[in-house]
Amino acid sequence: MKIRILAALWRLNLAEELQYRANFVASVLGTFFWIGTALLTLAVFFSHTTRLGGWDYWEVVVLLGVFNALTGVIEAVLRPGIGRLAGEVRSGGLDLVLAKPVDAQGFVSFRRLDIWRLADVVLGLALAGYALHRLGRVPSLAQLAAFVLALASAAVVVYALWVVLMSLAFWFVSVENLSVLFDAVYEGARYPVSAYPEALRFLFVYLIPIAWTTTIPASTLTGRLRPEIGLVAALVAGAALALARLVWRTALKRYTGASG
Amino acid sequence: MPPAITADRLSKTFKVKVRDPGLKGALQALLKPRYRDVHAVRDVTFGIEPGEIVAFLGPNGAGKTTTLKMLAGLLYPTSGRVTVAGFAPWGGGPAFKRRIALVLGNRQQLVWDLPPEETFQLNRAIYDIAESDYRERLAELVALLELEDLLDKPVRQLSLGERMKCELAAALLHHPPILFLDEPTLGLDVTAQEAIRRFLTQYRDRHGATVLLTSHYMQDVTALASRVLIINRGRLLYDGALAALVARIAHTKRIELMLADGVTAEQLAAFGDVKEFRFPNAVLEVPREEAAATSARLLAQLPVADLSIEDPPIEDVIRVAFARGVAEDEA
Repeated sequence: MKIRILAALWRLNLAEELQYRANFVASVLGTFFWIGTALLTLAVFFSHTTRLGGWDYWEVVVLLGVFNALTGVIEAVLRPGIGRLAGEVRSGGLDLVLAKPVDAQGFVSFRRLDIWRLADVVLGLALAGYALHRLGRVPSLAQLAAFVLALASAAVVVYALWVVLMSLAFWFVSVENLSVLFDAVYEGARYPVSAYPEALRFLFVYLIPIAWTTTIPASTLTGRLRPEIGLVAALVAGAALALARLVWRTALKRYTGASG
Repeated sequence: MPPAITADRLSKTFKVKVRDPGLKGALQALLKPRYRDVHAVRDVTFGIEPGEIVAFLGPNGAGKTTTLKMLAGLLYPTSGRVTVAGFAPWGGGPAFKRRIALVLGNRQQLVWDLPPEETFQLNRAIYDIAESDYRERLAELVALLELEDLLDKPVRQLSLGERMKCELAAALLHHPPILFLDEPTLGLDVTAQEAIRRFLTQYRDRHGATVLLTSHYMQDVTALASRVLIINRGRLLYDGALAALVARIAHTKRIELMLADGVTAEQLAAFGDVKEFRFPNAVLEVPREEAAATSARLLAQLPVADLSIEDPPIEDVIRVAFARGVAEDEA
């Protein structure tokens, strides 16, 4: 996907979005409300216990910040882009994308940018920073670098999950709303994987790589894992991306378009 | 010059889930799905020369759009070979896509809430068109399609005809040598249809583009296409000039008369099959080879003010062609 095309697409978007400035206020308010509820839920948990999967309160809040930042990426880029794929496979709206000299996967994935939702990324990172401060930790340069790498990898893993899930639309054209499936899986990323039973933990680390989206980046910040894990995260992300690409290419052959 | 488009025994089969009606059927389909093969396109072979305008004719569901989408590289053929502009469309990649334009009468690429020029600019980036080329081509398209007043209006405020003109402009900014048009005049009024037809001919004449179009409007076909491909139930039934098809299928001619006075239907019936009779106008149908002789007799024996010999309406000819194709199919 060429930068020039992305710039043109996002410029168009911005022109559309700027007509609705109220969206920004609504979006930020929504995020505050969401974070508030999430913190409250955590507080209820921690009124019964002092640890969740071996993590104490502020560690889980760091993870919550990472979760919120990733949610921002999902809502700003993925849901308005590749999230609409299932509907377009059914309606045949993909036809005109496929006729263009662009990489269809890239075009579909990054064609829209709901710019206001990027506020979630900022707010999420701020929350993680504040929690870190409460923990009294100042991450080292290596830890910070590992965090950035792990967070970028987390975004890639989430993206790969969307691509694979949405590609299912090519097989099961009548699937109403595949993004619900993603939401169900992604809910698992709200808490550290160590809080889950053994079987689920295995699933989240190796099969549906949810562990790599929040637990790993948060662990690099809090020092639970050594910075080298950042490199492993990058490898996992690379593998997930390659796999998603393979699924996409296989799926595209099954595209039938809508008649008429 | 090599052909612009070739299809060699091209086929596409869809697997379709079969479902009985009702809740029971839905449950069955969920637990034990049954599939049926639908042969949308079967062994279709043809070639199109550069600069030709060819029309694809066929009833709904005949396989026109499916063929078009295989040629444009959207659908993966089940079997057979296709080349378009020297490329295999599926997997032809950006180099191939730059050489084609695809316009679908029932899909839209223009951004709904913004003026058409914004979409043009996006396509300029997508197709990597140099600024000077873009200006020059846009000016040409604006002149040919009469778009001056439309460029800065939001697309949602344009009429259907205006939108289609802008769709065409958006699809042609990269100067593709090959155009695939699926129902480009769908739902347009007569004036807009004519404007689109005029534009397509002009565009072809100026740039030597090859055009393959499907349409339900026979006027599109008669006005534009030098050649038709008739397809029904996925099979190619006819490939050739429209006039030759008429000659082959229509065994009759219509003699249209304007009569001077006092002629009865009975008198006319002696000359041929009376199709219409509303004094002073009458239409007779006669065997093709007798048309000239019968006309001479009419002129000699009846008070005829005006007479012309016509082919039967093209719609009728096509209907006969489809009907025969179906008969062959079932034999």
